[in-house]
Amino acid sequence: MRTEAPHDALLAASDMPPLLTQFSLTHALASPLPKWKAMQTSLAGQARALGIQQSAAGPAANPDDAAFVLAHPALSSIQARYTSPAEWLPVASLSELLVQAACGIMSVHGRASGKAQPLGVNYLAALTSAMALQATLAAAVGQLRGGTFREVRVSPLGCGLLSIGQYLAGATAPEDREQLLPGGTDARLRPPFRSADGISFELETLDSGPWRCFWESIGIGRDLAGAAWRAFLLRYARAVSPLPAECHEALADLPYERIRHLAEQAGVATVPVRTAAQRRQDADYGQMEDSPWDFSLPSAIPEQQEAARERKAAAGSLPLAGVKVVESCRRIQGPLAGHLLALLGAEVIRLEPPGGDPLRAMPPCADGCSVRFDALNHLKHVQEVDIKSAAGRRLIHELVGESDVFLHNWAPGKAQELMLDAAHLHRVQPRLVYAYAGGWGNAPVAAPGTDFTVQAWSGVADAIATASGTHGGSLFTVLDVLGGVLASLGVTAALLKRSVEATGVQVESSLLGAGDLLLRSSEDRAAGLLRGVHPTRSGLIAIDCREPAQLQSLSALLDLPASSTPSPALLTERLRRLPASEWEPLMISRGIGACTVAEDLGLVAADSRFAECLDHRAYSFVKSPWSFP
Amino acid sequence: MSILVVVPTLLRPLTNGEKRVSAQGSSVAEVIDHLEGQFPGIKAKLVHGDRVHRFVNVYINEDDIRFADGLDTPVKAGDTLTVLPAVAGG
Repeated sequence: MRTEAPHDALLAASDMPPLLTQFSLTHALASPLPKWKAMQTSLAGQARALGIQQSAAGPAANPDDAAFVLAHPALSSIQARYTSPAEWLPVASLSELLVQAACGIMSVHGRASGKAQPLGVNYLAALTSAMALQATLAAAVGQLRGGTFREVRVSPLGCGLLSIGQYLAGATAPEDREQLLPGGTDARLRPPFRSADGISFELETLDSGPWRCFWESIGIGRDLAGAAWRAFLLRYARAVSPLPAECHEALADLPYERIRHLAEQAGVATVPVRTAAQRRQDADYGQMEDSPWDFSLPSAIPEQQEAARERKAAAGSLPLAGVKVVESCRRIQGPLAGHLLALLGAEVIRLEPPGGDPLRAMPPCADGCSVRFDALNHLKHVQEVDIKSAAGRRLIHELVGESDVFLHNWAPGKAQELMLDAAHLHRVQPRLVYAYAGGWGNAPVAAPGTDFTVQAWSGVADAIATASGTHGGSLFTVLDVLGGVLASLGVTAALLKRSVEATGVQVESSLLGAGDLLLRSSEDRAAGLLRGVHPTRSGLIAIDCREPAQLQSLSALLDLPASSTPSPALLTERLRRLPASEWEPLMISRGIGACTVAEDLGLVAADSRFAECLDHRAYSFVKSPWSFP
Repeated sequence: MSILVVVPTLLRPLTNGEKRVSAQGSSVAEVIDHLEGQFPGIKAKLVHGDRVHRFVNVYINEDDIRFADGLDTPVKAGDTLTVLPAVAGG
């Protein structure tokens, strides 16, 4: 056992060379996703942050229709391809707008934003490119563990569906099924709030006591405060939060500083809704150098011969088969990260408090377990442990001693307090990948790092609100989900570093880092000639025309003047002739990017075209969006 | 006074699978004590000392008892007491 002091044991991230320096990634010269440029831009940014060298090459280097190829001197090159269900849109037609329409994101976002509509940021570009990169790096890990993984296939629709998997579970549960449709709640009654001096802000507390004190201090009676609490609790699970109008009105009469002071006294956090430009001026934003990850290595790298001790892959068709992960995570971001690792074949042991995670009880339930919980955790083994006890710590040390990854999302400082921080666990297992999926990264914010506070602080809420015509971000948990994806990509990259160099790795990611990445991925907003969501005789249709020929075809189909972009009024009038479900095939057959907007998640689950992406037990859940042929 | 109690999925093994049961009492505490007499073990799942468990919400009709008088909140015949898991945050 080594004896470094915990605080000196890690090489600081700023001193650390890029993580995956010997890897190179060649992008196809002609993208297989010509309508979705942001996907490649986001992928390139993430690969750069991981230290992977990149270039673009012609067909000789990128055979067939591979989107990109990953190479390393010790590996067979790995080709990555995008796929799409045969009965649905071909890969070449996919775009941010169309996949958001199909997978149900517009539906979930619409629950509190007034109507089904796009997020207005390149969310699926950031998410899908991270998942494409993750599968490719996992394949490299699989090769180094003795497998033959030379190709990965990634379904952008599958990634989109996975992002709303919890809501899909809630909408298809056998009892107490959630039937929440876009526009079902008053968009004006949801948080954030607005002060008398015009500042938009979020309130956050995880406890009802401070909430009650706060509202009492501004003159809201406890009955109303109780009704407000009930609505406030719906945000995370159901993406709605219709608070009593009196709450908004009371805050609208007070200046922000007064509200902030009263909230602080009551123990409720306030976080202002800021712009992306404000976020970019933060010192911690610059320090992260456009990377959502902070990697560091234990200062004493174990002897090279430890590489020989690498456990070889268990026989299996998935690249992380035989990799053992211990997860101590609550709620969404961390559990999703563990779920993705499990989908790639890892054995995930989930630590839960004695009696089990309280979220297991959140309705709707199937077979005695919350379907929302089950959607993220059904592939894991559960070990109940009191992490605060000495016996619990011993058990965790034993588990970590025979594991490859430890992943947690505890509050800041708790790992050190429990003596379960990287320095301690690297002593138990020097080659451990120690991962922390946090909220705020290095930002000096004294508020719970939750989806909605981080959306507000990062500029994501402002970007979504501006695009959606609402006063706040999305109540779809955009950052919990993207943060979970980025955390698992960080873990996979660290596993690859470890496989190559036989070293332990520490990786930190955060909701805020996910928000920053999302906004960087959204700078490249392809304008398009005509893109948006339109009403029809029945249902909404998303139309995405990028080329003049597509617009001409649309004009011919709708009897519109061919010379210019049609006026919204005329377009709406013509689209009233048929339902969205009939327009869709007519448009697709003419080469026009179009997709019916999924408004009812129950219908998404039942859509036979998406059958390969979904499975149905007591509720509908999303299968792995990856395959390794 | 008869109070209708709506039991969450996880506690139904204690109520022989029943989703709705009836109980007597003039306060939430009394209703829970009466429930315990019918379904031993249920009280420990709902209260700890003189407080409702942190991860449990108890509503009388639509009102969270934490925003009323807690376990002393009065109930009357025909009221519905609903138990729901309580977890805030994402």
